Amino acid sequence: MTIQNFLKKCAALAALTLGVAHISAVYAEDIPSEVRFAWAGGPRVWVLGQIDKSFDKAFGTNVRWIPFATGADVLSLFAAKEIDIARFGSSPAVAGITRKLPIEIIGIPEVIATSERLIGRKSKNINSIKDIEGKTVAYPPNSTAQYALELAIKVNHLDKSKIRLVGLKPADQVAAWKRGDIDAAYVWGPFTQQFEADGGHEIFVTKQLQKDGFLIYNNFVVRKEFADKYPQLVVKFLRTYQQKVDEYKKDPDGSAQLIAKHLDIPFESARSVLSGLEYPSNIEQLSPAYLGNGATTPNSGIAKAAKDTANFLAETGDVRKSDIPDSFAAAINTSYLKQAVSK
Amino acid sequence: MNAVQRVAISTSAVALVLAIWQLSGSLHWIDPLLLPPPSEVLRTTVDLLTNGYRQVSLWQHIWISVLRASVAFVAAIVVGIPVGLAMGLSPLVSAVLEPFVQFLRPLPKIALIPLTVVWFGIDEGSKFFLIFISCFLSVIVSAAAAAAMVSKNRLRAAQTLGANRYQLFTRVVFPNALPEIFTGVRLSIGIGWTSLIAAELVAANSGLGWMVMNAGTYLRTDVVMLGILLLGGIGYLFDLALVLLQRTLVPWAGRDT
Repeated sequence: MTIQNFLKKCAALAALTLGVAHISAVYAEDIPSEVRFAWAGGPRVWVLGQIDKSFDKAFGTNVRWIPFATGADVLSLFAAKEIDIARFGSSPAVAGITRKLPIEIIGIPEVIATSERLIGRKSKNINSIKDIEGKTVAYPPNSTAQYALELAIKVNHLDKSKIRLVGLKPADQVAAWKRGDIDAAYVWGPFTQQFEADGGHEIFVTKQLQKDGFLIYNNFVVRKEFADKYPQLVVKFLRTYQQKVDEYKKDPDGSAQLIAKHLDIPFESARSVLSGLEYPSNIEQLSPAYLGNGATTPNSGIAKAAKDTANFLAETGDVRKSDIPDSFAAAINTSYLKQAVSK
Repeated sequence: MNAVQRVAISTSAVALVLAIWQLSGSLHWIDPLLLPPPSEVLRTTVDLLTNGYRQVSLWQHIWISVLRASVAFVAAIVVGIPVGLAMGLSPLVSAVLEPFVQFLRPLPKIALIPLTVVWFGIDEGSKFFLIFISCFLSVIVSAAAAAAMVSKNRLRAAQTLGANRYQLFTRVVFPNALPEIFTGVRLSIGIGWTSLIAAELVAANSGLGWMVMNAGTYLRTDVVMLGILLLGGIGYLFDLALVLLQRTLVPWAGRDT
């Protein structure tokens, strides 16, 4: 709790006991003093809403953007009730749900297509995914890229024991690549472009896993307590996000320029990350291929993908097999999406 | 208070804390996700002993961490004590090394992580370096202080009795400084063990520090808690071993008059 928050609560309590601020107490129940978003700081479409403050306007209250480094931080922030809505990767979200964190998946803003890729060193003759056997491959720990790498190894029937896998944060990967310690890396932009400029080339992209039935995505996750209390804000959030996606699709380069300028990063890396993601619309997300409409949710693509992810994490030993629910449908709430599309 | 009473009081204090901790979970005072009760930590221990953590057995995690730390400790002691003694005895050596030691010692070693990958790569070298550097500098400082603190009267007395420089060192300086050095080493090893987590943040796939950090990223607070208990317990054992070693090697410690 911040000091401001605390002071506000004290003030509200004092007002309540005096019985003079009845109106402000009712007002406080309808709209929180602020809504807290967890964001990774990277170039994503919802940053457009950070630039023009459209989320603040839609909510009628302030939005505080709380930065995080990895999906792991998001889980801790949710557990501590320090954030309300987060956009982060599928595998950390699944890990949180299996640990019975009170959170719900409310939307799938991004499907990872070409924004995360495996880059191999040309000088080591790594020309296809098969060539990583006997080589050292780096990945960012507990990320969608790690999950994609492990799946790529599995679906291509590679011998995992012959590959030396090292967990390294993207910036450390760059150092290790320069020293020649690693021969390949599965990571996102702008790091992929740095490797390509330094003797690497692409040998696998996450999109290739889709033909084997594996969907890797980023999800919008909400703290259940917050969503139960302010359902209308969640609906407004999804609607506003859809507007931002529409804006982006109308003018991808212009949007990338805006975001690059706002985040102070090169235009090219903003553009490559943004164009490497697929953006299913709110209506598309309600189809069984993604979240389903509630009735179809138990058999939906995301419910299945979440279960696959959980089983996979249990195989690697990161989550307990007995913690995995029979279905992830209970952790997916499509009611907000449904309200967002019906005007 | 005699020894038996002391042990009895310590044991009851620990038992009381464990009981409250367990009750906090059983009676749902605290969400077990935030603070897993001892029963769950025990269940996790059994699970990890049989299945290991991330395809590596629990013993192996313990062993690799103890090995990494021990190698770095031994290197820090073997190099650090002579350097420290030299600094304590020779004003010239002290003047040369002092600025570097004083600059590096208070430096948070975590700040060196980004450089260790660049300098030492992703193998054991970078982990060794991080533990070594945090341990090494405090060994130097305590050895230098111990050597400088040897009483001038004793040195003069030995000189009057005709001791040469070599004898002065082996008969007076070293035995006098040794108890102090031991205390310094105990503190340094505590510091070194603390930096294990920092060391295993760098491209590790095993070890207790890595286990705690990795389990944290998946919100496996039960594994985190077990790791913390093991880290604390092993640190305690390291210290205990040193105390025993000190009693056998320097029985004269603290009997100075």
